[in-house]
Amino acid sequence: MTSTDIPLKSPGSVTDLSAAEVEAVERALIDASTRVPVLMFYTSAIAWLLLWTVLAFVASFKMHAPDWLSSVSFLTYGRLRPAAVNVMLYGWASMAGMGTAIWLMARLCRTTLRHPLLLVTGGAFWNFGVVLGLIGIFMGDSTGYQWLEFPPYAAIVLFVAYTLIMSWAVLMFSFRRGDPMYITQWYLLGAFLWFPWIYLAAQVMLFLTPVQGVMQAAVNWWYANNLLFLWFGSLGLGTAYYMIPKVIGRPVYSYHLAAIGFWTYAFFASWTGMQRLIDGPFPAWMVTASIAAMILCAIPFATVSLNHHLTMRGYFGLLRYSPTLRFNIFGAMSFTAFAIVGVLISLRSVARYVQFTEVSVAYSHIGLYAFFSMVMFGAMYYIMPRLVGREWRYASLIKIHFWASAYGIGLLTLMLLAGGFVQGLDMDDPTLAFTETTQALLPYLRGRSIAGILLTVAHFVFAYHFVLMLLGLGRTASVPTFLNPVNPEPEDAIAH
Amino acid sequence: MNPPNPDAPRPRQGMDYGESKDVQQVHAAIQREKQEPRIGLEPLSIWLIAIYAIAIFCGGAYLGRFSGSFNGESLDPLVGEQPVKKAGAAGAAGAQQATELTPAERGKKVFMANCATCHQANGEGVAGQYPPLAGSEYVIHGTRRPAMIVLKGLEGPLTVKGSHFGTAVMQPWEKTLTDQKIADVLTYVRSDWGNNASPISADQIAALRKELAGHPGSWHEADLQAIPADANLPGGEQGGAAQKPGAPPQGSAAPATPGANPPKP
Repeated sequence: MTSTDIPLKSPGSVTDLSAAEVEAVERALIDASTRVPVLMFYTSAIAWLLLWTVLAFVASFKMHAPDWLSSVSFLTYGRLRPAAVNVMLYGWASMAGMGTAIWLMARLCRTTLRHPLLLVTGGAFWNFGVVLGLIGIFMGDSTGYQWLEFPPYAAIVLFVAYTLIMSWAVLMFSFRRGDPMYITQWYLLGAFLWFPWIYLAAQVMLFLTPVQGVMQAAVNWWYANNLLFLWFGSLGLGTAYYMIPKVIGRPVYSYHLAAIGFWTYAFFASWTGMQRLIDGPFPAWMVTASIAAMILCAIPFATVSLNHHLTMRGYFGLLRYSPTLRFNIFGAMSFTAFAIVGVLISLRSVARYVQFTEVSVAYSHIGLYAFFSMVMFGAMYYIMPRLVGREWRYASLIKIHFWASAYGIGLLTLMLLAGGFVQGLDMDDPTLAFTETTQALLPYLRGRSIAGILLTVAHFVFAYHFVLMLLGLGRTASVPTFLNPVNPEPEDAIAH
Repeated sequence: MNPPNPDAPRPRQGMDYGESKDVQQVHAAIQREKQEPRIGLEPLSIWLIAIYAIAIFCGGAYLGRFSGSFNGESLDPLVGEQPVKKAGAAGAAGAQQATELTPAERGKKVFMANCATCHQANGEGVAGQYPPLAGSEYVIHGTRRPAMIVLKGLEGPLTVKGSHFGTAVMQPWEKTLTDQKIADVLTYVRSDWGNNASPISADQIAALRKELAGHPGSWHEADLQAIPADANLPGGEQGGAAQKPGAPPQGSAAPATPGANPPKP
């Protein structure tokens, strides 16, 4: 590659640079073009993350202290919990995912982001939609459909905003240069096209021209499950497929595994959702088709997990140093756990005990937090220094963030899984009254609130660190902020 | 934190931010990073193919076993429950489950939902406020007294097991609970926590309800003392005997196997 190959707005002094430096200049120009929108998406995401933390924490306490704050209508559990869940889904997770996706797309398409302000407008509209939806929920306007509680007027704003954001990402793809498509681009493009599909389908079939009766539950669960799989799953896997090989400087283990993993995921995941309705008033084949699809999802789950594992083989020592790698590997491993739990609880013989228990809450947390959010944290630790030109200020804060998050989500899922199984066995015992089954669950719910304290610490520490970066108060050293001191020798191997 | 290590030679790195604007703002993070990720071409492992085969087999088998021939008429619960199908009594599944609980087990649920708040789950009551049921002389002897109390309620003061309860008030349950539920909960109360008295049937309660229909308010201690402690309701098994053979409530539920977990429909 010679200097003249840079079609981006290249400065005059480029000519006397080496090929490697030309690539660096190109990357710098691309990063600079994405700076404003990505920072805007990240800042909003983290603001929503903090709001979610507070709302979810209060909601978690209400599970074992129901009288607390219950005298104000908008602080009752029935409004607080949907508000928390939707802030998590559409505020934090979607904003973080889209911000990362924009940056990754620009990098991988090797093209600068044109008219970044339009993306900022899209992001602002999206924020407006989330605010509107939240107000709706707090005013008692929730729709009552799982994960779709935002009232329709907020959903319209969200969808318009999304169209703007998506068209920009896809437009970037059509301007791509050079190399063949990388795996991350498959997933991102897939996610950007799948989300409007499931969202529009759910909105139309539930609110615009509602389907009849119990079929609404089927549509609702199909949407909820695929929001987790096709939207967050694809964004998270795509990000991990970029970050892991990028940080360790080694190719992804196998193209074949990646291709099989992607296409089987695309094909089977969209069939799932109805497994949450086992024993519901549906034709048996609907539920069975979803369970079979979940079993077949073991193929992409195993393939992707193995691909990440084999890419990392021999490089696990680097987890000691790189924050990005550590968060991403935690996320990738949680994806495996997410897959195993997901397949298991969808089987009829297991669902008989764990359906309608805290186990399904635990399952969502593994997917949304242990997998997706951790991958996003890792991506932010990688991307932020490139956008603001500063290194993360304190290694200690990154460590606190990681361990509090890891232990917090670990404790939380453990409590909910164990509590859910106990609850399921109790509810299956006809000699026990319902009040007894709920009382047996109380210790686990208290444990979950303790885990919530850990997560709160993690999020506020991260937000503080993030604000320092935004204000340009990061370090100005030329080496990244590693979690532990690095000797000069292996440093080159993990420069990230 | 990271020691800067100034001695190591650092080609293409070590730029000071904010000082050299002419270097296209290529800061160190971008300079030092590795090239964009590439894809290797390792072949599939045989074990992975085995996993694929297992997943496809299991998925297919599941589809065959539980799909109900993709018929819109085969609803979900029926497909999973082969025994019910064989018996040809699919519609009776619900009724079957209801009869599989013994009266005492049903009564326990009623007790937990309605009575345990005051009398506590262990039947010991609360000292000075709510009288105990375990070993209470109003509970363990004849069937008439406890049935009267549950139907019409009770107003203190009252002495139970030698302890005095000054303000004890129990609401009448005749409007809230059915005959069956009252019979079940009495059967339960008379048989748990060391109590060992005879069961009571719904018919007996129904008869008593008719008999007391004209009675206006709750009982007082004197009203109860007027009834002999071992007075029984007509019908059913007499006395506080320990045996609980096929008394009327159980007679109709003959196939019941108490304690066994019934399959979920």
